[in-house]
Amino acid sequence: MNILLYALLKAVIVVAFLGLNAFVLIWAERKISGYIQRRYGPLRVGGPAGALQSAADILKLLTKEDFVPGGADKWLWTLAPAVSLIPAVLVYLVLPIGKTVVLQNLNIGLVFFASVTSFTLLGIFMAGWGSNNKYSLVGAMRAGAQLFSYEIPLILSTIGVVIATGTLTLQGIVEAQAQHHEWFVFPQFVGFVVFYVASLAELNRTPFDLAEAESELIAGYFTEYSGIRWAMFAIAEYSNLFTTSALGVTLFLGGWHGPWLPGWMWFLLKSYLLVFIGIWIRWTLPRVRIDQLMDLGWKFLFPLSVANVLGTALYLMVR
Amino acid sequence: MRAAVALWERLWNTGKSMVVGHGITIREMFHKPVTVRYPEEKPPFERGSRSVPVLKVNEESGLLNCVSCGLCERSCPPSCIEIVQAIGADGHRKPWPETFQLDLSHCMVCNLCVEACPFDALEMADVVELSSYQVQDLIFNKEQLAELWKTSRALRVAGGECIDMGDDTVAAGVVRS
Amino acid sequence: MTADQRTAGTSGATLAAADAVDRGDDPARAMAEDAAEHHLMTINMGPQHPSTHGVLRLIVTLDGEAIVKVVPDIGFLHRNFEKIVESWSFAGIVPFSDRNDYLGAITNEVAVCLAVERMAEIEVPPRAIHLRVLFSELQRIISHILFYGTFGLDLGAFSPFMYAFRDREMGYALMEKATGARMLYGYNRLGGLRNDLPDSWFRELERFLDYMERQAWPEYMALLIENQIYRERTIGVGRLTPEEAIAWGASGPILRATGVAWDLRRAAPYLSYDQFEFDVPTGKNGDTYDSAMVRMLEIKESIRIIRQVLRILPDGPVLGRVRPNIRPRPGDYYSRVESPRGEVGVHLTTDGGSWPYRLKWRAPSFCHLQLIPLMARGAKVADLIAAVGSTDVIMGEVDR
Repeated sequence: MNILLYALLKAVIVVAFLGLNAFVLIWAERKISGYIQRRYGPLRVGGPAGALQSAADILKLLTKEDFVPGGADKWLWTLAPAVSLIPAVLVYLVLPIGKTVVLQNLNIGLVFFASVTSFTLLGIFMAGWGSNNKYSLVGAMRAGAQLFSYEIPLILSTIGVVIATGTLTLQGIVEAQAQHHEWFVFPQFVGFVVFYVASLAELNRTPFDLAEAESELIAGYFTEYSGIRWAMFAIAEYSNLFTTSALGVTLFLGGWHGPWLPGWMWFLLKSYLLVFIGIWIRWTLPRVRIDQLMDLGWKFLFPLSVANVLGTALYLMVR
Repeated sequence: MRAAVALWERLWNTGKSMVVGHGITIREMFHKPVTVRYPEEKPPFERGSRSVPVLKVNEESGLLNCVSCGLCERSCPPSCIEIVQAIGADGHRKPWPETFQLDLSHCMVCNLCVEACPFDALEMADVVELSSYQVQDLIFNKEQLAELWKTSRALRVAGGECIDMGDDTVAAGVVRS
Repeated sequence: MTADQRTAGTSGATLAAADAVDRGDDPARAMAEDAAEHHLMTINMGPQHPSTHGVLRLIVTLDGEAIVKVVPDIGFLHRNFEKIVESWSFAGIVPFSDRNDYLGAITNEVAVCLAVERMAEIEVPPRAIHLRVLFSELQRIISHILFYGTFGLDLGAFSPFMYAFRDREMGYALMEKATGARMLYGYNRLGGLRNDLPDSWFRELERFLDYMERQAWPEYMALLIENQIYRERTIGVGRLTPEEAIAWGASGPILRATGVAWDLRRAAPYLSYDQFEFDVPTGKNGDTYDSAMVRMLEIKESIRIIRQVLRILPDGPVLGRVRPNIRPRPGDYYSRVESPRGEVGVHLTTDGGSWPYRLKWRAPSFCHLQLIPLMARGAKVADLIAAVGSTDVIMGEVDR
């Protein structure tokens, strides 16, 4: 009974954070993009600097008609947003937020993270296939190819860290960094770069936003979605943006390790810094083409990550 | 070897252009936005901006300058002006319009009517907030056009004249960045 | 289907779709039936699509990501310009012609004015001629700025679009001060210009030119044109050979990108272009990168021309004496100008009446639109969007 209550409490915390995170990030993305483009971004809805914009958006989306397009595969179509939201929620389980603050310190934390995030593809593909829309289908196929190809360099780039620490628990990786006062971003710089580029691709963000390429595919796999279902996709997307950045912080930037401030604060600060860089990149670069995306993934990032793993292993062996 | 050089050049240019591009966007981020927040603050109307032809009222007599000669009606390319000359009780035609209708939904704001008018009766107003859901609201009669003349900052630019912009508009600037 | 058949299929599909149109069918249906036989997919891109530059409809047959056939379908912005002006006075055609290519309004007006002035033997004072050159070039700058923005948007970069709008706004503020309107100026009159400009305006213009040259232009280049992703996306995409470009009637930056230095300002000087010194930038490969680059270089050339105009601008009236009722000499008159998009031609036929007997508008975008199937040969979906973006079509001009 106690365990059940405890689990429920954890679930509530995660979902609350998920909502709050999407709330903040949607506003932040619009605000930052606005200032980058010499605009103000949202201003009119209220709150400091239009911060209530997200609330208004969510309220609007909630009150919209629940609409299923004719010809859609109803089951796939309605389930897809939920399926894409599930992995977004699950990954919070293993994120080491502070020295002792972690929901569940799994001993295969990294494997859990990698396997759960690759689940996202299923939701995207269900949405693309179930919509009975050609743009959605093309978008889903792109997403399939893209997520599949970038999963490999993404995971390989983390292996270097795993070899160096000898553990798969995220908590253990952070502790190893804290002990030696050396963040892995310096010895594992190649790994970090590969990780960040691949994670941008995993997140479907510019320059790799082919799955929802607005100027080509209107909105890609969620062209047909509106209202709360669309909101679920958006929440999952922004949640993934945060969690992937948080994983990058955990693996390469010392997680909660840092002077003066409490650990969880360092963790959030670093994570949101990576999120900001992601937003900054999004509003600077044009989009790559699908074949160039594949080239980059298989011909550049993949060999680079393999070389990084080999190099790390050799170095540790020689030492 | 050449392929290796080409690859290196691509890599180098990738890195360089990424750094330069991100430098530009972050620099722009710390500049003031150029947005004009429309309903609260309005961009300055330039002297000579035109949006709708209006009927000028003689300041002394309070009557329209229009003598109903019909030159503007004839010069209007999309035929959006309609004038009916007044006929007095004595059965003679009078030098003022009985009706003067302007269909703003057809008007293309070309200024040709103003240039055609020999009696200084038409001017171009600079009101733009005239949108409406009803097309009928865009058909103005002579009273409405006279009212628009009184409430707006109208200007008459005859053909080939030089616009006097005044010094105040020069400062309200082109280069806003 | 082999790759060869696919390439060959482009023109074949165009014919099939054209047959369907002749029969009164929707070309999309014919193409979809054709595609279903080969397990291909036919997509209607537009007219409600984020990047079709207005209301262009492209019927695209896809084999996965690869383009098999493209058929542009037009007519969604038809406003009957050519027929309407047959009952309009010559003076009224000038402001109406703004609406054709609404991003190159001044050049449209100049084209009409040149034709009518030749027909009615109207004298234009020298100051007006020079000012027309000045405004044509200012218009070209503004139009190319917008091209830069929308082309970036087509390639997925959003910020260049907003920077382009920021700078375009300055140009439009200048235009508004001078002409009284922001986009559809109605500024040219038969025999000159509507109004003259005070010195303060020219000072502002110089500030704008300085800003464009020193700040905006280098920023455009560094942010987008020199970006490696942009280069990979555009170099070699949408290639045209000079022969193809000429055969399909291309003009303007699209033709010059293929290496043909054909610019009406140089080849058949009108107004006072023969008095100014400027280069005609050309490309080498005829791809989207070159046509964008040609436009970027033309911004610089336009700035150069405007500076020269400002140096030699004579005093005097800007509007010649014109009889209110024009007496046309019967016959055919043709005038052509170099608009931001290419050669705008006005073919005017009169029978001596006070309105034209027939007016034919030669729109460069119309010719460029037909190049899109050629440019999309063997390309991906993303390349098609880049090709459409690089032609810089204005549907108002295509459909008229």
